Amino acid sequence: MSLGVAVAALTRASLLTTMRYRASFVGEAVMAVAWAAWTAAPLFVVFDQAPTLAGWTAEEALAVIGFFIIAQGALEALVDPNLRAVVEQVRQGTFDFVLLKPLDAQLYVSLHRTEPIKLVHCLVGLAIVAHSARAIDAGAVELASAALLMLAGLTLLHSLWTVVVSSAFFFVKVDNLSWLIRAGLDAGRWPVSLYRGVVRFVLTFVLPIGLVTTYPALALRGELKPSTGLGALVISVLFGMLARVAWIRSLRRYSSASS
Amino acid sequence: MFRAFPTLLRIGLAEAVAYRAELVIWVLTATAPLISMFIWDRVAEEGPLGGWGQGEMARYFLLTLIVRHITSSWVVWELNENIRTGGLSPMLLRPMHPLVFFVAQNLAAMPLRAVILAPLIAGVMWWRPELMWTPEPWTVALGLLSAALAWVIAFTVQVIFGSLAFFSQQSLGLFNVWFGLWSLGSGYLFPLELAPDWLRQGLLWLPFRATLATPVELLAGLVDGPSALRLVLAQLVWVGVFLGIAALTWSRGVRRHEAVGA
Amino acid sequence: MIQVNALSKVYPVPKRGEGLWGSLRSIFSREVEEVRAVADLSFSIQAGERVGFLGPNGAGKTTTLKMLSGLLVPTSGDRVVAGFDPSKRDPAFLRRITLVMGQKQQLLWDLPPIETFALNRALFGLEEAEAKRTQEELIELLELGPLLTRPVRNLSLGERMKCELAAALLHRPDVLFLDEPTIGLDVRAQVAVRRFIAEWNERSGATVLLTSHYMADIAALCPRVIVIAGGALRYDGPLKDLAERYGGGRKVIVRTRDEAPEQLGPFVREDGALVARLPSAEVTAAVDFALRQVAVADLSIEEPPLEDVLSKLFAERT
Repeated sequence: MSLGVAVAALTRASLLTTMRYRASFVGEAVMAVAWAAWTAAPLFVVFDQAPTLAGWTAEEALAVIGFFIIAQGALEALVDPNLRAVVEQVRQGTFDFVLLKPLDAQLYVSLHRTEPIKLVHCLVGLAIVAHSARAIDAGAVELASAALLMLAGLTLLHSLWTVVVSSAFFFVKVDNLSWLIRAGLDAGRWPVSLYRGVVRFVLTFVLPIGLVTTYPALALRGELKPSTGLGALVISVLFGMLARVAWIRSLRRYSSASS
Repeated sequence: MFRAFPTLLRIGLAEAVAYRAELVIWVLTATAPLISMFIWDRVAEEGPLGGWGQGEMARYFLLTLIVRHITSSWVVWELNENIRTGGLSPMLLRPMHPLVFFVAQNLAAMPLRAVILAPLIAGVMWWRPELMWTPEPWTVALGLLSAALAWVIAFTVQVIFGSLAFFSQQSLGLFNVWFGLWSLGSGYLFPLELAPDWLRQGLLWLPFRATLATPVELLAGLVDGPSALRLVLAQLVWVGVFLGIAALTWSRGVRRHEAVGA
Repeated sequence: MIQVNALSKVYPVPKRGEGLWGSLRSIFSREVEEVRAVADLSFSIQAGERVGFLGPNGAGKTTTLKMLSGLLVPTSGDRVVAGFDPSKRDPAFLRRITLVMGQKQQLLWDLPPIETFALNRALFGLEEAEAKRTQEELIELLELGPLLTRPVRNLSLGERMKCELAAALLHRPDVLFLDEPTIGLDVRAQVAVRRFIAEWNERSGATVLLTSHYMADIAALCPRVIVIAGGALRYDGPLKDLAERYGGGRKVIVRTRDEAPEQLGPFVREDGALVARLPSAEVTAAVDFALRQVAVADLSIEEPPLEDVLSKLFAERT
């Protein structure tokens, strides 16, 4: 049907665009492995000093790193390039052309600029999670629920990003905001239960990177209470709705105030 | 050349004030030591490690944050940008070395960086008051000297990678590799004292710790006299080495620039 | 095809105080100033018409085009375009209109134009065979053949504009909003774009509403013009009557072989020639008079330059 055709055409165009700039799959893969090693190194130093930390072993915390790398890969492949493109379009006024296409604008801006080669990072992250799952000896149920929570976490990230893009219609310098959020998300490489008080609250509910990295790892360990898991799913659905509302409101503002 | 320096500082400060929003964002994005602080605080909670309790952890990472912001600069990006776009050419025509300009720009932004950092510092001190310590005067003196040397090394390294842009499109990529190794080897993400033995021994021979861990450990009073002197001497050696490399890459690069143009 | 009734647009613009103190104060108390971009504008355009939309910078032309294409919500008044309320941006509506902006481009910068065409065909859900046919037609009319496989960033401004037009017309819209499509182009490219717009209008029967600062565009393309200034309608009617009404009429210039006669009729002496400024109805009589009374060496009739007419019209404040 025509929606599928439109999505395929958008994906094709952004593939062609990014292919002009970077081509080396091997180079990207090497970078991805080095990046993963760099991300995991502090963890090994910590667990060299303490065999378990707040109930987490090194292998289990490694799963958090794995999910973190998957999330970052998804951000860099699918989310960040789109964000930069929209900010640029709003700045130059060419966003008007997006609105004049007979396709949902939120769908359009989520797809129109992607860098699929960065998905290599997700593969490396998956490998780390797989290693960790074997060490933990996770069963089928655990794997399935971890996968479900990971998907929920990724949609959550996408919603968060949509909110950021929506703010591009109010403030111009959103790319700076996205750097700040990226720095905040960096805290997600550690299990969120290692943090205390305000920081933990923020990482669970405000900038919910904990939901993206820690909860799937908890599910993998089989320690996620069904109610908590359900709560995480509810939160990601809520964020999705929030993002939709923010998007529609900012579009309305765009079409009443821009010149 | 040095008569112009106060003017350069004044302009640099005005510039930093004009870009204050960007500066705030930039300071806030370089707060990785705070994350490490929370994690290591948790580790120390289950029992002090080799004399490091929660107070020492907080002290170490607070100083890491401060020294990191004292010693960081943007020269590598500035040089890269100016070399690529040809903006360096007019700078070469001024009767002043372009690097003097960048030094002034860097120093001039320090007061503003301090202002932005102050609430974070206050927050950490309120959160973990145990971090307070009474340092010996000689450690403070040596620590400040060491911080100044760390600034020189960090700045020079950026000049080296920045002037690689004379020769290669990939200079920023190379700098990112350096930054990755640096953050693991300098004590930025974890205290070197608590790293595995083989790593700590190896890092003694590498330049990374001279730009961060050395002044931090001195200021925190975590090092005894003889090793303090040894560490500062090592810094002096690195200052010499990097200044030499920078002089070489810069002069070669400028000659190439003059020959090829930008 | 286009019905506009009492359309108004008011922008709230936050008032900023001067200096540091002023900008601090404006964080807390937001004084808002209202800027009226379009005021009580009404007109209607029939299917197939080519209408020039004129006005000085900041007159509200672009604002009006954006309201008509659904990008901007009007403060009051209503408009119907192709039977739709544009504000809803109904996909069925978007398939019937197009907007081309000379200052902004929709072509994918790093890819050849052919890729933007492919993307638009998919986005508009066009039937492949028919869309291909339209595409071929546009490529031929605009002579795009050699440009199709070169990345857009390597094209000249004029080449890019021609590709923009093709990309915007693939879905064969019934209404074309063209906002300064010739801006910045050299004379040859301007002529090419102009010719194409006229040709396409005739072939497809689409309605064209065009703004431009180049009067040659308007003179060549638009039998009818709508002039606005300060957001309000100043003139709506045939282009030729515009010159009549605001240009001080046509200019008849007569050079004589010998001394001018005593009887000058409608003429006055100006720089050694006889000159008369007249409404067009009286021009024949004046020429008649000159031929009978004077030994004519040379006789010419000049239209007032459109630029002069317009600057007179813009200057006139109501």
